[in-house]
Amino acid sequence: MTALMDFLTVLTQPQLLLLVGLGTFAGVYVGAIPGLSVTMAVSILISFTFSWDVHPAIALMIGIYMGGVYGGSRTAILLNIPGAPSAIATALDGYPMAQRGEAGTAIGVTTVMSFIGGFIGIGVLALAAPFVSDFALKFQPRDYMLLAILGILLVGSLSQGSLVKGIFAGALGIAIGAVGRDPLTFAERFTFDLRLMEGGISFIAVMIGMFGVSEALLQLHHVDKDAVRQKITRIVPSLATVKKHLPLSLQTSSIGVVIGALPGTGGDIAALMAYDHAKRVTKNPEVPFGKGAMEGLVAPETANNAAVGGAFIPMMTLGIPGDAVTAIMIGALFIHGLNPGPMLMIDQPDMFWFIVGCLVAANFFMLLFGLTGIRLFTKIVEMPRSVLIPLIMLLSIVGAFAVNNSISDVYWMLGFGIFGYFMRHYGYPLGPVILGVILSRLLDDNWRRAIISEREDLGRFFEGVVTSPLSLVLFVAVILVFVSQTPVWRWGKSKLFKES
Amino acid sequence: MQKIDPDHHDGTSDATPGGEADKRRPGELAFALFLLGASAILLWNAYGIAGFEALSSPGAIPMATTAVMVVTAAMVALKTLRMPLDSTETLRRDILPLTVIVFAVLLVAYGLFLRTLGFLPVSAIFLIVAVKYLGRRSWGWTLGVSLAALAITWLIFRIVFSVLMPAGIVPEAEMVQALRSLFQGGAQ
Repeated sequence: MTALMDFLTVLTQPQLLLLVGLGTFAGVYVGAIPGLSVTMAVSILISFTFSWDVHPAIALMIGIYMGGVYGGSRTAILLNIPGAPSAIATALDGYPMAQRGEAGTAIGVTTVMSFIGGFIGIGVLALAAPFVSDFALKFQPRDYMLLAILGILLVGSLSQGSLVKGIFAGALGIAIGAVGRDPLTFAERFTFDLRLMEGGISFIAVMIGMFGVSEALLQLHHVDKDAVRQKITRIVPSLATVKKHLPLSLQTSSIGVVIGALPGTGGDIAALMAYDHAKRVTKNPEVPFGKGAMEGLVAPETANNAAVGGAFIPMMTLGIPGDAVTAIMIGALFIHGLNPGPMLMIDQPDMFWFIVGCLVAANFFMLLFGLTGIRLFTKIVEMPRSVLIPLIMLLSIVGAFAVNNSISDVYWMLGFGIFGYFMRHYGYPLGPVILGVILSRLLDDNWRRAIISEREDLGRFFEGVVTSPLSLVLFVAVILVFVSQTPVWRWGKSKLFKES
Repeated sequence: MQKIDPDHHDGTSDATPGGEADKRRPGELAFALFLLGASAILLWNAYGIAGFEALSSPGAIPMATTAVMVVTAAMVALKTLRMPLDSTETLRRDILPLTVIVFAVLLVAYGLFLRTLGFLPVSAIFLIVAVKYLGRRSWGWTLGVSLAALAITWLIFRIVFSVLMPAGIVPEAEMVQALRSLFQGGAQ
C-alpha cells in the first residue's frame, strides 16, 4: 500500500506531474534536434537542478530521459539524421518511408511502439528490481568490483568496436575519478601539488565537457548542412496496424529490457539487436528491410524504450549504470543525497516507487507529445545550427559554473571538451570515461575492502573469487568479454564455423 | 549483429565522425603518442602515492589503472603506427578546421573574461561573434537572435533555476530586484 502511494506521488502532485510533462516535452525536442543529445541535456541539467528538492529534480530528468530516447526517432525518420544513437536503426526504414510520403505513419507507429516498449520496460523494472535488490545484498565487495569492471568493459567493447581504446577510456575515467585527496587516508592522488586539485575534479564538469562542448565542436563540421523538409499526413496509426505488429513488439521489448539491464549496454545496442531480430523472424515483409519496412521501425523503437526500464534495474539495485545516461542519472541521485544500490531499496523504497511513477507518467506524456504538435516540431528542428551550437556552448559553460560557482570547473569542462573532441575524432569512446569516473570510488572502496578482508593476500582473494559462485560467474563474464574482443577468439570462431 | 554505421550518424554520441577503421587519420599518431606519454607520467605519479606499500594502499587502484592506460595506449600507438595514412583527409580540413580553432579560442577567452566582465556582457559578445561567424547573416538578424537567445537563457537560469553567474560590471542584483518589483507591482 505504501509502495502504491509512493508510486502515485507524481500523479497526485500537479507540480511534479507538470515537471515530468515539461521534461518529456523538452526531451522529445532535445532528442530530435541533431547536435543535442539526452546525455548532454541531462548532464547540463544536473548542474541547474542540484539546489532543488530531490523529487522535482528527478521528475524533470526522468522526463527528459524518456522523451529523449523517443525523440531521436523523429529526425531519423524526417531527416535521415538520428537525433540519438538509439535511433540509428530507426533511420534505416523510417527515412525511406518518409521519402514515400508516409512520414506521418512512420512517426505514429514509432510513437505507439515506443509507448508499448516503454511500459514493458517499466513493468519489468517494477517487478524485478526488488528481487535483484534482495539478491544484491548477498554481493561481497569483490563482486561489486567485478561488476564495475564488467560494466566498463562492456561499454568499451560494444559502443565502438575497439576494445583496447574502450579499456583505455575506462581506465582514464577511473584515474580522473581518483584525483584529489583519498577519503580514507587523506593521501593526495594525482594532485601534482596543486591546491585546486585537492578537491578532485567535478564529474559534472567532465560530463558536460565531454558530451556538451565536444559535441558542439563536432557539430561545427556540419554547420552548412541543409535540413530536408518532409510533408506529414496522418499520424495516429490504425488499430489494425498496432495489432499486426504486437507480437513482434513484445519480442523486441524483451530484447530491449534484457540488453538495457546488462551493465554497460543501452538503447542503441538494444535497438540494433532488435532490428537484427526483426529481420530474421519476419519472413515476408510487405516492403523489404532498408526500403521502408514497418517491422524495421517497430523493432528498434520498442527495444530502445524498453531498454530505459531495463537500464534502471542495475542502476537502482546495484548502483551500476546501464549506459552513459544512467551513469549521469546516478550522478544526479548522488548529488541529491541518494545512494543507488541495494540499500536504497531498503532505506528509501519510496524513492524507487517514485521513480517508477515518474517513468510511467513520462511514458504517457511521450505518447501525448508524440502524436501531437508535429507542426511546431518541424519548425524547432529547423533551428539553424549557427544559433544552436553557440547556445549549447553557452549552456555548457553556465552548467559547469553553476555546480560549485567555480571558474576552475569551467576550465576543466573546456579542457575535457577539447580533449573529448579529439577522442571522438580518433575513435575513443566517451561512454567508458564517464562510467569510469562514476564507478571509480565504488571500484576503489570495494577493492580495498575486499583485499583487507583477505588480509592483503592476493592468493586468498582469488580463492574467494573461485569458490563463490557469484564471484566466479562475474569473473568469467569479465574474462569472456575481454577474450571475445581479441583476435584469438575471432580466429577460433572462424575455424569452428568453417569446420561445422 | 549490425554495427553502428557512422555514415548514418551526425556525430552525436560515441560514433567516430568520419575516418576509416583501417587507415590512420591525420594527427592520430601524435594523439596516440600524447596519450602514451601522459599515461606514463600519471603512472609515475601514481607510484609516488604509496609505491608498493600495500595492496590496499591509496595508490593501488591509481597504479593499476594507469598501468592499464600505459599498456593500452602503447598498443593503440603501435597499431596506429602500422596503419597507412589516409591520404584523402587533411588535418586542417577534417580534424581541426579553422572554425573549430576559432571556437576553441572563443571558449577559452569566454572562460578568461567571465569573472572580470561578468556573465551578461561576455555571453552577449560570445553569442554575437559566434552567430555572426557561423551564420554570416545581417547584423540586425545576428544581434536580434543573439540578444533574444541570451535574454531567454538568462531569464530561465537566473530566475527559474536561481543560478548565480558572475555579475562582473553589470548590476545584476539590482536588475533582478527591478524585474521582481515590476511583476509584483503588476500583480497588485
